[in-house]
Amino acid sequence: MTTPIVDGASDRPGTGEARPASPVPAVELRGITKRFGSVVACDRVDLTVERGEIHGLLGQNGAGKSTLMKILLGLITPDAGQIVINGHPVVVKDPLAAAAIGVAMVHQHFSVIPALTVWENVTLGETGRLDPRRAAREVEEIGARYGLDVDPQARVADLTTGQRQRVEIVKCLRRNPDILILDEPTSVLTLAESQDLFRVLRRVVQDEGRAVVLISHKLDEILHATDRVTIMRNGAVVSRVTTGETDARSLAREMVGREVSLRTQAAALGLISEAESAARVGAAGDPGERADVVLRVVDAHVRGPDGRRLLDGLSLDVRRGEILGLAGVEGNGQATLGQLLSSLVELEAGHVEVAGRRVACGRPGAMARAGVAVIPEDRHDSGCVLDMSVAENLVLDHLDAVSSRVLVNPRRMREHAAALIERFEIKTPSPDVPMRSLSGGNQQRVLLARELSRSPRVLVALQPTHGLDVGAIEYMTNQIRAAAERGVGVLLVSTELEEVLALSHRVAVIHGGRIMGVLPRAEADLERIGMMMGGRPL
Amino acid sequence: MSAADRVGSERLGTASAAAAVGDRARRIAVNVALYTLAFATALALSALLVVVATDASPGTVFSAMYEGSLKTGAARGLTLDEATPVLIVGLGAVIASRAGIINIGPEGQLLIGATTATAVALHAEGPAWLVIGLTLVAGAAGGALWAGIAALLRFTRGVDVVISTLLLNFIAAEVVSYAVGRPWLLQETTSNLQKLPQSDRIPEELQLPRLGSFPGFNVSSAVFIAAALVVVVAFMMARSRWGFRLKMLGYNPTAARKAGVSVALMGGGALLLSGAFAGLSGGVMLTGTVFRLQPGFSQGIGFNGLLAALIARRNPIAVVPVAFFFGALRAGGGFLASTGVPRFLVDIVQALLVLAALFPPLFLDLARRRRELRNARAAARRTAPVPETVGAAA
Ligand SMILES: Nc1ncnc2c1ncn2[C@@H]1O[C@H](COP(=O)(O)OP(=O)(O)OP(=O)(O)O)[C@@H](O)[C@H]1O
Ligand SMILES: [Mg+2]
Repeated sequence: MTTPIVDGASDRPGTGEARPASPVPAVELRGITKRFGSVVACDRVDLTVERGEIHGLLGQNGAGKSTLMKILLGLITPDAGQIVINGHPVVVKDPLAAAAIGVAMVHQHFSVIPALTVWENVTLGETGRLDPRRAAREVEEIGARYGLDVDPQARVADLTTGQRQRVEIVKCLRRNPDILILDEPTSVLTLAESQDLFRVLRRVVQDEGRAVVLISHKLDEILHATDRVTIMRNGAVVSRVTTGETDARSLAREMVGREVSLRTQAAALGLISEAESAARVGAAGDPGERADVVLRVVDAHVRGPDGRRLLDGLSLDVRRGEILGLAGVEGNGQATLGQLLSSLVELEAGHVEVAGRRVACGRPGAMARAGVAVIPEDRHDSGCVLDMSVAENLVLDHLDAVSSRVLVNPRRMREHAAALIERFEIKTPSPDVPMRSLSGGNQQRVLLARELSRSPRVLVALQPTHGLDVGAIEYMTNQIRAAAERGVGVLLVSTELEEVLALSHRVAVIHGGRIMGVLPRAEADLERIGMMMGGRPL
Repeated sequence: MSAADRVGSERLGTASAAAAVGDRARRIAVNVALYTLAFATALALSALLVVVATDASPGTVFSAMYEGSLKTGAARGLTLDEATPVLIVGLGAVIASRAGIINIGPEGQLLIGATTATAVALHAEGPAWLVIGLTLVAGAAGGALWAGIAALLRFTRGVDVVISTLLLNFIAAEVVSYAVGRPWLLQETTSNLQKLPQSDRIPEELQLPRLGSFPGFNVSSAVFIAAALVVVVAFMMARSRWGFRLKMLGYNPTAARKAGVSVALMGGGALLLSGAFAGLSGGVMLTGTVFRLQPGFSQGIGFNGLLAALIARRNPIAVVPVAFFFGALRAGGGFLASTGVPRFLVDIVQALLVLAALFPPLFLDLARRRRELRNARAAARRTAPVPETVGAAA
């Protein structure tokens, strides 16, 4: 190669060294284009990120945000376009090369390895000698600094989804990147946690002249954390705004290309007034005390492999046609409850009844056969098969809909898929592409479409709007309400209190693997819920 | 999508369609060139080895391999005969790997299948067609039984399938030696003083009929069994509920369990089925080509089938050409050995040819990545006053 080789890392500012925003932008993407077959994921995208700024990247599901950032990280090779870092045009061959010029990314889907400990995961992929004690200390230091507390010696398999997300972020921050890409980093963090994170991040970014790109569907997070926002639609940039000069409504409008109803937008933002949503739920008709119980969990005990009590005498009833919201701090048994209702764990004691019949817990498919649909917390875990097609993923556990006793009917499968793709606005070039090639939010839509379309008796939804864009949240919450009106018993599990309050007829609170109490929506005020979340029974 | 967007994507569409046609022609040309080069290299190396190790001329290798596998009708029949059991084993291995199970034991399952098949063929009575049928079924059952041991160990004791199936290969070989060395088991019943460690030859009427006759094209009718199995397996995998659930289990066991697929039943079943295919293959060899049980009966067919399945990935149709290729190698190799080239050299030659077959796809994959990278660089260079590469610096 005859061209001069410049080490991009050489002009990185050292840690702690103050550096004012320079006229040369940290990152400049020029005319980036990427096609996947017939899909144009990125269409001549220009994006400039200055030093010292947090730059929001906004767009509907499948707009091309993750693809654009993976190009910057060297994971995807663009068809055309140019990357300029600190004024130097560069070719980012792979993530190692990206690391060398100080680019690091927290991915939308987890990349941690469950079998390893936290510090092992954090140092994974690094060369040279490893000092376990130093690595563990660094994990703790970063945790303390950014408010991302996590035990470096814990095995990732034993962590909650929120803790795993923290590990992902710590892993990225430890590299001390100059340019930090965060792809929906807070989807399962609590509001307080993400606020902490961005407060510190903002200071670091400004003091040290770094740059951050933040992808998020939470508009309030974008409004609070970013300096400027670039909005993409169908692979192209449609708008660039300064955060201070905009508001949630216009962001949503730019992004979706139409007016989004204020109500859902408000619910998505957590701004909805309690009185209003209580009134609305009341108007929709509380199914009342006498409605039949469709899901009854009685005194459920589950122990983890390490002997920890995951469910500790949990009992709850979900009635026909109601939405029971389950609030609680993450890691108090919600995930295990989801697994129990997906037939993935066995009970040590207690039992589960669906529509009055006992279900053999832990027997493969028993819950699904009894009519329990589950939208799991981590969609890649039990929610879908990434290497099978979208059409196949739309029927996973109710093959009966598209098959005879022995054979699957491909025509019916295609029709079934086409109908759901249209109804749920799933963005995919065809039903036959692998699930893996869909954007994160569209994968979530596939899950929702499948579970809602199989006319279940009980719908268990764990963080169902995780990764959905504002428009889709509107649609999904309507769908969940409609399901309840049709007589489905809905158990809505969410760590976002606003979501629970906005949708539920009754609110239960989980703590330490046990239900602390259940309140009708009208009596569920933040104070009482807060106390129960802290472990004080009603 | 706005009108402007649509125009944009249509423009992209036609451009890529034109590119696709040119691409296809180029791809074919590149493939042909690569395979030619790979095989030429393998044959040249083989020739060199033979010349150095023996006094034969380099031409011997080429012509012997060709003559033994493809040149005459008889050779082509032999190739098919050799490919048949490889194909059956390979289909079974594909089933297991679809379920995410790696069965390293087809060799042993084939041996046990051949043993049970021999027992039935020598002892069962009745019309020939019925006994042939029973013999093949017994072969499948024997293979399934042997794989069943691994399944049992896996789903009751948690023993790794890779290890158990591997070890069961060695035990199977011992079982065969034992059986053909004991007069009260399967050892031959000749009046000769010296009884060899082998079974009696199965009666003429139990041997699968051959089509055509030497010196013309002739082949055992076993090839039809294999062909039928390809159709059945491919169809079931693509179209049946069983195939759907098998695939689900292989790709994501957690999602499969949620959807009602039991790992023990479905995965264990797939393991048993792959054992049954290997065992059937043993039965087919017995009734189709070998006719008696001996130590070393399997001749590595089990491993060949396993390798064929690995090359074909999870695709049952793709096993066909791969098995045919192995059949040709085996037939050609046998002929080469008969010309006086030592067996170990024949094995090396075969291995070189397998490598030659594997090389082009690997190379193309690497080349594709390099090309993408170069495109990206070129794009950067076009617009950049001072281009530079970061990758090299990293
Ligand atoms: N590997 C791939 N193969 C084929 N198509 C792909 C691939 N990766 C992404 N796409 C397509 O490119 C488009 C953009 O996807 P991308 O993941 O960038 O969306 P996104 O903006 O991150 O959406 P989300 O908010 O849902 O995460 C989608 O239509 C997607 O189907
Ligand atoms: Mg994304």
